[in-house]
Amino acid sequence: MYDATHLFEPEVMTEEEKLARFTERIENGEKIEADDWMPAFYRDTLIKLISMHGISEIMGALPEKEWVPKAPSLRRKLGIMAKVQDEMGHGQLLLRVVEDLMKPYEKTRGDLMDDLFTGRLKFHNVFHMPTRTWADAGTIGWLVDGAAIITQTNMLGASYGPYARALQRICAEEVFHAQHGESIIMALAEGTPEQKAMIQESLDEWWESLLMFFGPATKETTGTSKQDITIAYKIRTKTNEELRQNFFTKYVPRIQSLGLVIPDPTLRFDEESGQWIYAQPDWSEFKKIIQGGGPRSKERLALRRTSYQNNAWVREALAETMA
Amino acid sequence: MTETFYQEFEVFSKRTPNAAFTHQFSLLAPNKEMALLMAQENFMRREPVVDIWVVKRTDVRGLTPDEKQMLTRLDNKDYRTTKGYGYLKKKWRHYEQQMLDEKEIMSWQGGDSK
Amino acid sequence: MTEQERTALAALLYQLADDDFLYAFRGSEWLGLAPHIEEDVASSSIAQDSMGHAAMYYQLLEELGEGKADALAHVRLAHERKNSILVERVNGPGYYMETPEYDWAYAVVRNYCYTLAKKIRIDALKNSSYAPLAVAAVKINMELYYHLLHWQTWFTQLYQATPTARQKMDAALEQVLADFGDMFDYGEHGDVIEEMRLIEGQGILLDRWYQTLTPTLVELDVTLPEMRMSSNGRNGEHSADLNDALSTLGEVYLIDQSAVW
Repeated sequence: MYDATHLFEPEVMTEEEKLARFTERIENGEKIEADDWMPAFYRDTLIKLISMHGISEIMGALPEKEWVPKAPSLRRKLGIMAKVQDEMGHGQLLLRVVEDLMKPYEKTRGDLMDDLFTGRLKFHNVFHMPTRTWADAGTIGWLVDGAAIITQTNMLGASYGPYARALQRICAEEVFHAQHGESIIMALAEGTPEQKAMIQESLDEWWESLLMFFGPATKETTGTSKQDITIAYKIRTKTNEELRQNFFTKYVPRIQSLGLVIPDPTLRFDEESGQWIYAQPDWSEFKKIIQGGGPRSKERLALRRTSYQNNAWVREALAETMA
Repeated sequence: MTETFYQEFEVFSKRTPNAAFTHQFSLLAPNKEMALLMAQENFMRREPVVDIWVVKRTDVRGLTPDEKQMLTRLDNKDYRTTKGYGYLKKKWRHYEQQMLDEKEIMSWQGGDSK
Repeated sequence: MTEQERTALAALLYQLADDDFLYAFRGSEWLGLAPHIEEDVASSSIAQDSMGHAAMYYQLLEELGEGKADALAHVRLAHERKNSILVERVNGPGYYMETPEYDWAYAVVRNYCYTLAKKIRIDALKNSSYAPLAVAAVKINMELYYHLLHWQTWFTQLYQATPTARQKMDAALEQVLADFGDMFDYGEHGDVIEEMRLIEGQGILLDRWYQTLTPTLVELDVTLPEMRMSSNGRNGEHSADLNDALSTLGEVYLIDQSAVW
């Protein structure tokens, strides 16, 4: 196509005008695309949010893959293999979105991996935890993915188009994940006393992590929170606490219906305020975990680093075949 | 220096033989053969697919935000659409005939003109 | 079918089932660790397909009265397993949950050589005198085009890439061929298996494997190392790698075999 752009005077806009136009587009509900002008704080907020989301999917594959070979039937082996595959696939989608956002900074997937290894790029608290039993694989599928569905559907209408489209794909697959988790949990809950004990013990172990997953209610709790910017620029709509409350509403009755006991005697729905009252998790522990001080943080990072370095020769070799 | 991570390919696929190609997503691969090997499993694991294209992103000539101005049109082109000929309906009624509208004409596929 | 024939048929089905079961397991250990995220996702489908094929063969054994498919997959001890040595070999030193030192060149060469052998066996099984097996072979064959194209592409691209890659591929090929000797062996019931025309003779299939592989090797200027038989897996003679694999694969199932999982 003939490039006619030189025939026209490019529209000269000051930074203020560009920002005003950008803000107007967001307020009109328009989607921002990768090559559109966007203010640095919007780009940087997206990079931070989506790289953490993407790398969490990739790191999240590790605790679950531990149970792939051990899954207790041929069908379970297939189901959990497909699920771990999806996690890596979600990581792929999200990293592609971030990679395009990072272009002006001349950064690539390799830089994201370096940031992960140096601790600059964090991943979700839940993936720092050990998976000790098969029931933990079920809990991850049912409740961790349940929590993830709540946070991800909250961003389906994100103002950044490529992220919204990646989330559409991801959420469609999360429906399978939720049912995969339910199926494992249901079998254990209806099983032998040992199987029932296994799932109760798993719930006891994971409850606090699940509450932490949504993040602190306010930045006063841990010192940082990006939720104000993400809401103002229509990347998400609900606050961390609203999402946590949604999780209680959707999952507490289901957990209890299976005869499981939630390990928080203070948990109750307060009719007057319309809110769930619950015991706060230890937020200093949360901070420690996402900074790499969780029970399995070092091992999981070491595993990722070892495999990444061992395979460097493959990427170098194939880079030679680029044409 | 950071590691080379291949190049970007845009992936398109057809869902059924009669469907048009639809853009799916993008992936990183060293070359088009590898890109083709990755495409289906990365983006179409659960849906039917009858054909795939992979296109190197640098071969796609898209519009810059500025060039998108070329897509603007005035809303004065009803002579191009059926909207500009709606008055015929009343006219045909006068001749005791029905107008052949889009719904009617598109129903003739397969030579089945009732 | 005489008792001897039934035993021979079961022996062949165990070879097919155990091969794909262990092959899929080794593939699944790579989940999350492949050199490239897009490849991780793609090769996971191959491991899944292969586990699906194993499940089909175990189902045929269940229908033959050998026991429940899940029990056959999870309970049988190493000396009862009939898989080839190649598929039981570890991906490299180190446990898959800690610091596995996996070798992608070995994965590519093993997967390519195995998939080519599998394709040749499946084509032969389409004419099996045991109809249920012939039906399964036609189905399984449908997924092999992609598997073979996938590993053939990796095999040729890595061989043509850099001197380092070529060196690693050569070493891997040496390692794979050292275990390949029992791949087309039918074990102690081989004579009956061939007489019953369950599948063509092992010599014919092995020749076909060489013939199919040769043009690729010629193009890449690769000399095939000597094929050896470290031990005969078809007769239940296995390496220690298999014991470790089986204790992982059966860990949860064996907690309570009568429970519903």
